[in-house]
Amino acid sequence: MSDETPIRGMGHSVRRKEDARFLRGKGHYIDDFKLPGMLYMDIVRSPYAHAMIKNIDASKALAIPGVLAVITGKDLDAAGLAWMPTLMSDKQMVLPVDRVVYQAQEVAAVIATERYIAADGVAAVEVEYEPLQPVVDPFKALEPDAPLVRPDREQKTNHIWHWEAGDAAATDAIFQGADVVVKQDLYIPRIHVSSIETCGCIAQFDSIEGKLTIYMTTQAPHAIRTVFSLVTGIPEHKIRIISPDIGGGFGGKVPVYPGYVIASVAALKTGHPIKWIEDRSENLQADSFARDYHISAELAADKDGRMRALRVKTLADHGAFDAAANPSKFPAGLFSVITGSYTLDAAHVAVDGVYTTKPSGGVAYRCSFRVTEAVHTIERMVDTLAQQLHMDPADVRMKNFIPHEAFPYKSATGWEYDSGNYQETMRKAMEKIDYAGLRREQAEKRARGELMGVGISTFTEIVGAGPSHTFDILGIKMFDSCEIRVHPTGSAIVRIGVQTQGQGHETTFAQIVAEELGLPVENITVEHGDTDTAPYGLGTYASRSTPTAGAATAVAARKIRDKARKIAAHLLEANPDDLEWKDYKFQVKGTPGRSVTMKDVAFAAYTNFPSDVEAGLEAVDYYDPPNMTFPFGAYICVVDIDRGTGEVKIRRFLAVDDCGNIINPMIVDGQIHGGLTMGMAPALMEAITYDEQGNIQQGTFMDYLLPTAMETPAWETDKTTTPSPHHPFGAKGVGESATVGAPPAIANAVVDALSHLGVTHIDIPITPWKVYQILQEHGVAEVH
Amino acid sequence: MHFTGTQQIKAPKERVFQFVLDPNKVAECAPGFKTMEILGPDHFKPTLAVGIGAIRATFTLDVLLEDVREPDHAGMHGRGSAGGSAVDMKAAMDLTTISETETKMDWVADVNVSGTLASVGARMMEGVAHKLTAQFFDCFRAKIEAAG
Repeated sequence: MSDETPIRGMGHSVRRKEDARFLRGKGHYIDDFKLPGMLYMDIVRSPYAHAMIKNIDASKALAIPGVLAVITGKDLDAAGLAWMPTLMSDKQMVLPVDRVVYQAQEVAAVIATERYIAADGVAAVEVEYEPLQPVVDPFKALEPDAPLVRPDREQKTNHIWHWEAGDAAATDAIFQGADVVVKQDLYIPRIHVSSIETCGCIAQFDSIEGKLTIYMTTQAPHAIRTVFSLVTGIPEHKIRIISPDIGGGFGGKVPVYPGYVIASVAALKTGHPIKWIEDRSENLQADSFARDYHISAELAADKDGRMRALRVKTLADHGAFDAAANPSKFPAGLFSVITGSYTLDAAHVAVDGVYTTKPSGGVAYRCSFRVTEAVHTIERMVDTLAQQLHMDPADVRMKNFIPHEAFPYKSATGWEYDSGNYQETMRKAMEKIDYAGLRREQAEKRARGELMGVGISTFTEIVGAGPSHTFDILGIKMFDSCEIRVHPTGSAIVRIGVQTQGQGHETTFAQIVAEELGLPVENITVEHGDTDTAPYGLGTYASRSTPTAGAATAVAARKIRDKARKIAAHLLEANPDDLEWKDYKFQVKGTPGRSVTMKDVAFAAYTNFPSDVEAGLEAVDYYDPPNMTFPFGAYICVVDIDRGTGEVKIRRFLAVDDCGNIINPMIVDGQIHGGLTMGMAPALMEAITYDEQGNIQQGTFMDYLLPTAMETPAWETDKTTTPSPHHPFGAKGVGESATVGAPPAIANAVVDALSHLGVTHIDIPITPWKVYQILQEHGVAEVH
Repeated sequence: MHFTGTQQIKAPKERVFQFVLDPNKVAECAPGFKTMEILGPDHFKPTLAVGIGAIRATFTLDVLLEDVREPDHAGMHGRGSAGGSAVDMKAAMDLTTISETETKMDWVADVNVSGTLASVGARMMEGVAHKLTAQFFDCFRAKIEAAG
């Protein structure tokens, strides 16, 4: 490749390197791997949400030709593996010894020579249950006579933990003297990430080397390796986790699921590789869930709309095990960012975690640990206040935004926001969508009886966990890492501690290195997801890859550039201090003609290096971020409501995002488009509910409504750029902004459309049935 | 799920009652009846194949008769699981003489379905369960009358 090959570093819409294989159907997902002698596992699951297991009779299953083993909780118990730790310092059943605590819980595993035979084996395992009363309602779970979900614990209660942030006394004092107090209960329903690829693994044990290799759908391979080592006692260097191409993670592939552990035990027991792949219904019914927050919020304000204080109480339904992957000090995640983009004199937020007989909750579904719940609450509360005061919600926001000059800003719950320019982003959105024009149109339509609404969400996220002084998971600090090796001919390999699940890391991380080292992006390979080769890192979730591993990549590249400067000086026979890095070259200051490229330096690093410099050109960096980053945005949604069906149609949706400096604008747009669709889904369609017996009511995609292209409007996007002052290249992270920001914009638009009828709140999902009932109550439903 | 119903059966009360206490005869009316194992006068295990939509399951129900007050009242409690599904059912009937040749049967049934059948078939569950329960008692009437 000639030296004229463009570098295409920061800010270029480089086409995604990984798409070459994805678009050809040549990706390598777990189910594509087939190992010699591989056996298949399928799982017997509980029909009951809560029951004692009286007996498991596997004799009929074992009589089926091809069924080789049936593994039960008692088998695992004998090896000390019936329980495993969760990432939240709780423990979770791998297979139950005597009781089940949610419907579809793993009860036993069948190992067979073929996948279908394994399924036949599952159908033939006879389990005798004694049903117990399920615990479905988290409020009733806290009543004194509620059945215990977890009698294994010392604390004989379904209450898991209480957590709070902010200043309760200062908040209460402001409320007592406030001009206006608005109060609203909100329920953010349980939802499921529903990645295209379900969870699964292949566990392989090499008895000669004593090494366990697990090909696994995980967003955090290194953390999983450490946990596996601690649980099984297998030395960590004898465990290798390979996380190949992942068909969507969204937080659902951070937890350790029982299937991974059972498959590993089966591999050790049989000496064969064991493949376990969930089917769609298993994934939907049994894997960890997101949201499920019952929130009660109050906002105090002056009568002119100046917000003063926020008080929030929340009940968090965590299911039967507290298996969320929140940082250790944050059992309710980063919910305390609930003060949002606004100056408040005080705030207090309290959360209580509760056990119920449901699968584990608490997955941070495409959001940085409960930020979605926080943003939905504050953005709904701002609109509630505006409605109460008969003010325009845009005016209330403008009045209360943290001013640009106030950054870095210390929030009422203790976060230091790094940078922001909320007014500018909001103004850009309002101008672009012609907010004033929309309000005129709405007034005209309202006069004609038509239902049109305009909703705003001006959210602030908190991402990039996180600084080691505050953030750890099971004690492992939440730094992240990068290792770069520049080859003699000027190409490079980059290995990172985070793991892509569709974010385009193979492209964006190459662009970071291209920018920092002046090597063409085509010449840089990015590897990740193999714990034997990648440097240790905590993985990809919570929009942390660019803020942490992205920063590590830039810093590692700069270490290489520092060394390269010495080699360049040697080649140019100049003093290193007399060189400047300009236009992707080392130039002798004031003599542009005298320069060498990184490619020249790379060759010299192996062939002609100065005597006081080591050969080679590589570096590693473990980056401990000094602070979180705070991306933000201004979203405006326009809806029309069909009075005949209650259907909400999103006519326009404009997302103006600010994620600091951008590596690849095309990929950022892709992230925003996908995120908006995933934000629309819970706003209008998705919710998981349970009947009184604890049966999930949305066990297939017939009942759990995922948006398709049919339901998805044409998203409009724009940007402002407010760099993070502490990130090496000013980036903030963007993967989750739209998922977080979209739901309240949509909910606010629907409430706005109905506000003249006296409607002040609708819980999501805002389904046609829910809206139609409201229209009927207010006598405005059209009857056909 | 709670269901109730009334049948008017053209048979005297004693004959209706004798029919109800005969597990083999009753089981023939159960949806998807396949086999019967009798463990005692009030304890038996019928195997039934039921389905909702594409989900089918073969249950072996463990059934106990309870609160039998000849010739006016009988109750039963049945429970069974199959694969990822389970059924728990309590039913009772009261017989009242209308005339020498006609009996009124008031029945009540509480059916709890758990697992895959309930979660995958949730939308159809109530309708299907109601239909199967009603068919069961309809079948009763038809068989008793035919036997007469």
